[in-house]
Amino acid sequence: MKKPEQRDLFPGALEMMILRTLKRQPLHGYALVQHIKRTSNDLLQIEEGSLYPALQRLLKEELVKAEWAVSSTNRRVRIYRLTAAGAKHLQRQVSSFERMLEGITRVLTPGES
Amino acid sequence: MNWFKQLFSRRRLYDDLSEEIHEHLEEKIEELVASGMPRKEAAAAARREFGNVTLAEEDSREVWRWPLIENFLMDLRFGLRMLSKNLGFTAVAVLTLALGIGANTAIFGVVNAVLLRPLPFKQPSRLMMLFEGIPKLGFPKMGFSAPDFAVFERAQKSFESVGVYQNKYFNLSGDREPDRLMAARISSSVFPMLGAEPMLGRRFTIGEDAPGQNVVILSYGLWQHRFGADPGIIGRNLELNRQPYTVIGVMPKAFDFPLRGPQGSEPAELWVPMAFTATELEGWGTNYMNGVLARLRPGLAFQHASAEAESLSRSIGSNYPPELTKAFQGAELKVSMNSYHEEVVKSVRTLLLILMAAVVLVLLIACANVATLLVSRAASRQKEVALRTTLGATRVRLLRQMLTESLLLALIGGSLGFAFASWVKTLLLSLVPESVPLPRDIPISGSVIVFVLAASFLTTVLFGLVPAFQVSAMALYGPLQEGGRSGTPGRLRHRLQGFFVTVEFALALVLLIGSGLLIRSFAKLLETNPGFRPDHVLTLNIPIPSERYTQATKVRQFYEQLLDRAGNIAGVKAVGLTSDLPLNGCGTIAIQIEGGRNTGGETPQAICQTWQVGNYFQTLGIPLLKGRSFTLEDRIDTQPVAIVSEMAGRQFWPGQDPIGKRIRWGVYTPWQTIVGIAGDVNDEPLGQPVRLHVYRPYLQMADLFFEDSRFGEVRSMNLAALSQTDPASLTSAVIGQIHSLDPDLAVAHIRTMTQVISSSVAGPRFNTLLLGVFAGVALFLAAIGIYGVMAYAIAQQTHEIGIRLALGAQPRNVLQLVLRRGVRLAGVGAAFGVAAALALTRLMAGLLYDVSATDPVTFSCVVILLLAIALLACYVPARRAMRVDPMVALRYE
Repeated sequence: MKKPEQRDLFPGALEMMILRTLKRQPLHGYALVQHIKRTSNDLLQIEEGSLYPALQRLLKEELVKAEWAVSSTNRRVRIYRLTAAGAKHLQRQVSSFERMLEGITRVLTPGES
Repeated sequence: MNWFKQLFSRRRLYDDLSEEIHEHLEEKIEELVASGMPRKEAAAAARREFGNVTLAEEDSREVWRWPLIENFLMDLRFGLRMLSKNLGFTAVAVLTLALGIGANTAIFGVVNAVLLRPLPFKQPSRLMMLFEGIPKLGFPKMGFSAPDFAVFERAQKSFESVGVYQNKYFNLSGDREPDRLMAARISSSVFPMLGAEPMLGRRFTIGEDAPGQNVVILSYGLWQHRFGADPGIIGRNLELNRQPYTVIGVMPKAFDFPLRGPQGSEPAELWVPMAFTATELEGWGTNYMNGVLARLRPGLAFQHASAEAESLSRSIGSNYPPELTKAFQGAELKVSMNSYHEEVVKSVRTLLLILMAAVVLVLLIACANVATLLVSRAASRQKEVALRTTLGATRVRLLRQMLTESLLLALIGGSLGFAFASWVKTLLLSLVPESVPLPRDIPISGSVIVFVLAASFLTTVLFGLVPAFQVSAMALYGPLQEGGRSGTPGRLRHRLQGFFVTVEFALALVLLIGSGLLIRSFAKLLETNPGFRPDHVLTLNIPIPSERYTQATKVRQFYEQLLDRAGNIAGVKAVGLTSDLPLNGCGTIAIQIEGGRNTGGETPQAICQTWQVGNYFQTLGIPLLKGRSFTLEDRIDTQPVAIVSEMAGRQFWPGQDPIGKRIRWGVYTPWQTIVGIAGDVNDEPLGQPVRLHVYRPYLQMADLFFEDSRFGEVRSMNLAALSQTDPASLTSAVIGQIHSLDPDLAVAHIRTMTQVISSSVAGPRFNTLLLGVFAGVALFLAAIGIYGVMAYAIAQQTHEIGIRLALGAQPRNVLQLVLRRGVRLAGVGAAFGVAAALALTRLMAGLLYDVSATDPVTFSCVVILLLAIALLACYVPARRAMRVDPMVALRYE
């Protein structure tokens, strides 16, 4: 059995999306996954559970930090926030992803050269 | 975050995680409920969206861990729990493995110490041993004679140093009762060549290679127990053979020389200078008894040195006195060379390799046995596996867990085996007979420990991998699927177990055939007629020190008096003295035959010569076929006489009567007239060919032999006494008579003739015993294996058997059904085993006497034995199957 995030996404994609989302604003886990799902128009099939191992990896590498707070709905939530290292990492990831995407697109686009 | 902080904050991290996930689900449910979904449905939907909660949590935690190690530790903990829950299984598996690994470790320890480890000397691979030989006379390899060594030492160019040694007994007397000690005479070059330094004092100097300097170096052991480790021992005087010797050194504990093996060398307890006497150096053509060691010059190839050594044969021969050269024409001397290591190990190599192969087979059988156990157990773990799979365990994860459990088994078995091995090794070494050149003390070295670990891991793979794959394969048959008794996994299991049992029987058969061949060979050995009657004969050895009994008449007088006194002891029927007892080897001489083809300078004849006095033939029951035996009247001043063995008579004078014919020893002694023919006797240990033999009357030995230290054996006669009752009961009376003649004499080798026979076959008995034990263990394990498999199969088939019985099958049919499967497994195994044995047993041909390595009797007996054991092992569970109550079996469904 493979891990779900490996089934649907390339390795590191989920982390990248999490970092990108957190760059906009600090969020807690549930809100984070809802946001990703919504923004992708439900095109990405993400098991909500798979978010947590990814968050732990980011925590461990100190790309995000977390602290407990009380939400507007009066619920105890753990708010994740991007660190400076996280922002830098995201930038690097995104640019390398764009280069890769460009390469793939050129290959997939017929003719021209 | 560093790993140290992580380790302590982990608990909090995990708690945060659980709470967070819990809150996540709650929030989702709230939201769904708010959108109008019933609470129960909302909870299910939330979980569905979330996925596998446990797995998510576990994966999240894994981020903070070293998964490989921690999973391993977890598996280990779990494995231990599983093993302790299933004590019967664990005990059987661990003991089986301990047996296999223990036996392997013990034998490997010996193989490592003897065959693999370099000799414990400086640059041991450059150490060579040199030999003389007269192939034409039937002596391909002997030591060097003293004058030949001197010539060789001067002429050789290939070696940076050469040394010479000779074992010799010394009587150590003084304030305590005399000890007979094995010593060695060595040239001063030997210790430097070996790179050996004394721990106290100094080595021999070149000046001490000249005779007349009584100095001695002690071994550590002798220094410890005879001299109480006296640090001031250097310079003290000892009495050796009643002569004063000065202690100049003590060797370190680990030093052993000469090494057991080549030319019957034995480790010495003390060393004295070789210091050849002038008489020894003039002894051309006699006493080829000195071991010669040499160290190759750096960079010189073995072949080069070997060629040079061979080329020196001629220059040695050219130094011989002309009359000897003439007499020895056609029987040239040959010098040969071999590495010292090879000479030390060659006589035990075959035996050790066979033993190693045997224990490896035992270990393989043990592995197959544990594997069948694991396969059976896997069945009962199907539910557990299914549960784990459902909870998200991957196949690799399951495989790892199963292998961890196997490893645990192997490690427990291995450590138990290690303890068991040191016990086996002690037992083994205490059983090693004198004639087998193995060291008496083998330390457990690092490589042995590495071996145990390697063996444990290897066995894990061997016995654990297949069942582990099988278990993880279950995961593929769908989680929580019912039906453990039938279906594909069951059939696979069946086939696997059948395979393992077949392998076990094939391996056991190979071992049994090997040991069967040795047993048959040993039985044949004991059946051979040694040419004498061993019952009721006591023998002992009485060496007469030359320092006290300087004159020949004194020695003769002593033995004559002893003969007289021993003959008068109550209960003694006959008594005789001989220079060599049967089966113990004998001094070989070259003789000339008067008027024979070879007196004109042709090839002389090699023959065994022993000296005797008294009723020797009668005492040992050696038949006198013709003529007379010696009497006390055959003295130095009467006509020289001799008795030849039947075979010698036939060979020297074919078709003629040997009585009255004359022979002489070498070219210097007077002609001796043959007065009698005696029956052939085994001079060498049983199993070796009978040799030609000439007997001479002891009282006719010329005075010069007594005065010449080269002929030590004439001062070391063996007394043989024939008693009416138990021969051992004569011992104290005989020793009493010896001490009434000289209270200071040491008596050695007190044995009955039956014991002499028994120690002459000690080597073969040892081989037979060892291989027999391993074969027995193998058979036992194989029997347990087939029993286990059949018992398990029947337990699984209770249902089927019940139906058969309900449908009218007779219990007899059920019995047949079970036995047929058992015999089929054992039979296939036996067929493979016979094929393997045919290929393998020829390797042990060298250990067999009068039995072919493919002896059909042994082969068929062993196959029958094996099938019988298999039947027996199946019979017990088969009986249980017969008694299955159809009703119970059917209700089981």
